[in-house]
Amino acid sequence: MDFRYQASALALVSGLTLAGAAGAQEWSLEEAAKPYAGTTVDVVFLLRPGYEAAEAMLPEFEEKTGIKVNIIKQPYENSLGEQVRDFVADGDLDIALIDLVWIGNFAENGWIEPISKFTSNPDLTDPDLDIDDFFPLVLNAFGGWNGEIYGLPFDNYSGLLFYNKCMLDDAGFDGPPQTWDELKDVYGPALTKDGKYAFALQSKRNETQSADSFARVLWPFGGSFLDENFRSNLLSDESLAGLNFRQDLMQYMPEGIVAYDHAETVNAFAQGDVAMITEWSAFYSTLTNPETSQVTDCLAISPEPKGPAGRKPALGGFSLAVASQADEDEQAAAWLFIQWVTSKANAMEYLERGGVPARQSVYQEAGVAEKFSFVPSLVESWQEGVPEFRPRFAEWPEVTEIVQEWGTKIMLGDVTVEDGAKELGDRMEAVLEKAGYYDGRKPLAQ
Amino acid sequence: MRGSVGRKTIIAFIGPAVLALAVIGIGPLLFAAWTSLLNFNLTKLRDVRFIGLENYANVLTDEAFWAAMGRTFTLLGIALPVQIALGLGIALLLSQPGVGFLRTLTRLSLVVPMATTYAVVGLLGQVMFNIKFGVVNQLIGFLGFSPVNWIGDSTNAFILVVFWDIWQWTPFVALVLLAGLTTVPGEIEEAARLETRKWWTILRHVQLPFLIPGLTAVLILRTADTLKLFDMVFTMTRGGPGAATEFVSVMIQRVGFRAFNLGLASAQAIILLIITIILSQLYLKLVYKEVRQ
Repeated sequence: MDFRYQASALALVSGLTLAGAAGAQEWSLEEAAKPYAGTTVDVVFLLRPGYEAAEAMLPEFEEKTGIKVNIIKQPYENSLGEQVRDFVADGDLDIALIDLVWIGNFAENGWIEPISKFTSNPDLTDPDLDIDDFFPLVLNAFGGWNGEIYGLPFDNYSGLLFYNKCMLDDAGFDGPPQTWDELKDVYGPALTKDGKYAFALQSKRNETQSADSFARVLWPFGGSFLDENFRSNLLSDESLAGLNFRQDLMQYMPEGIVAYDHAETVNAFAQGDVAMITEWSAFYSTLTNPETSQVTDCLAISPEPKGPAGRKPALGGFSLAVASQADEDEQAAAWLFIQWVTSKANAMEYLERGGVPARQSVYQEAGVAEKFSFVPSLVESWQEGVPEFRPRFAEWPEVTEIVQEWGTKIMLGDVTVEDGAKELGDRMEAVLEKAGYYDGRKPLAQ
Repeated sequence: MRGSVGRKTIIAFIGPAVLALAVIGIGPLLFAAWTSLLNFNLTKLRDVRFIGLENYANVLTDEAFWAAMGRTFTLLGIALPVQIALGLGIALLLSQPGVGFLRTLTRLSLVVPMATTYAVVGLLGQVMFNIKFGVVNQLIGFLGFSPVNWIGDSTNAFILVVFWDIWQWTPFVALVLLAGLTTVPGEIEEAARLETRKWWTILRHVQLPFLIPGLTAVLILRTADTLKLFDMVFTMTRGGPGAATEFVSVMIQRVGFRAFNLGLASAQAIILLIITIILSQLYLKLVYKEVRQ
């Protein structure tokens, strides 16, 4: 062999090796985590499929980094109180799990750190973080507050229309309703018979009433909670049209719908008692599992129906953010975990294990839309959603209590739609006035 | 005797109890009283400030608070007399001579409902009275009736809470009154039975005076328990539908731990405490008077 050729080949191989070594030194999770091996980070997880998926993936992270992730499991209803008490008491949580309606509260109280604190540190941040790969609506709504990003979207939902293809076929429909009016006026009467119901709208008096029931009928009809001056918009013609629509639609729902939470609604659909539900994408795995659903063969999914103002589907979900109360090492370890669990590289595994990632790239991969039938509807919904579907300011915990009480009273007929909307609006304005939105003490951010 | 016990001994025996009471009872109470004078929202700790009696003014003028109080007293007004009537009936039956084995068996089974945790009772209710899958509607169905919407209807949900409270606490009343009946001296009761065959006369003039201490205890304990009834309702109906079963304790929890307004919730709790103390004093004055005399 020619010496010059041998020398060139050696130089090339050496060059590649050196380049590779230099690349590896640039950034790897293992290297980045070395200073924090042995650190424990505490985080609250919910009892939902997306969290089980992340928990199943966790051993790989712990093995690679030596960082221990301590999961505290809570039902959704307890998770806000648990975290607020921990942050107020300067407790142990190193990561905040943030429902999109809590972000203003957490950020204004200084309980969470903006991600810029970590993304500015090249030792901690994966060059492949690719923040623009998150759906912009989801990133801003779940993790953003007042122009700053605090959390990365982790457990992500959009409202979808789950429908029982077989029941619709039998009633002579060759597809789902395209509009809410069509759902009520055409599908409602045809599918409500023999002890079966056309539709179920989960409306229990908790966050379900606010997010899944009340807000769901406001937006597609052009209504909203607040106008641009933060005064109640519930007495506008559009808002009232939405709320009246819900009252009319109740005739095609099971009796006692105000006692239905997610479990009852998904169960009624899974048992074949209800033909259509509008539920979070997160319930896909429950409805496709033969152990929890009798309608797996009949399950079909479409985006939520449109109203006069467009689709504007329900938007909900959680981001993970680094807690300010954590010490420096814990913050770094927490950031590494958040970055890893929401990463592009892990998005496919998370999806396959039952989670719903907010990475655009994973949904563009070949075969994903075919394998997960909710994907096309989900992507469409995340392009048409409203970030302030529920206002995200710090006063939401107080406002939602009012919505829950009066929203349920309206449904029960204890008050008329107009009287209920007025009472609700007055009480909501009283909370906002006390908070300082009307005298300029607080910016009108929601 | 009194002189032979040293001061140190007294302090050593009573001190720990007083200390424990101070730490777990009086301390939090004083803290709640102080909090009730503050604008204190857990999510707005930068805005904590002394506002005097403003929280009390808000509570006293809040229709929702009085509506919740009204529901609580309606529950008390229905459930307590029924519990006493049924409990007395059971106690009188069990105090009959010649029911030895049955009495033991019944006493044991009476303990079960009240030994069951409130929250579990609520969860049982949620499952048993489920409109579609509940065993109660299944039984009703066997009898040919259509299913009842227990939890999703305002009136039915309230009736359900009343019924469940009666189910759980009638045994307690029965056992207390049964204990009272065993203190009636046999010779007096026998003499009374020779005088009259009317059971009511015997009950009123012979047995009732011995039942009064137990009855007073029942009234005070059940009133306090009903005023602070929370777990069962929270797990079964969560105060709903609407506000149909939002009793005053459920409301306080909602304001304090879901809307995080601890100042307002503390004011509500202090007002509830005052009402409970007044009622207890009334019971002692009106019902217990006879025994004290």
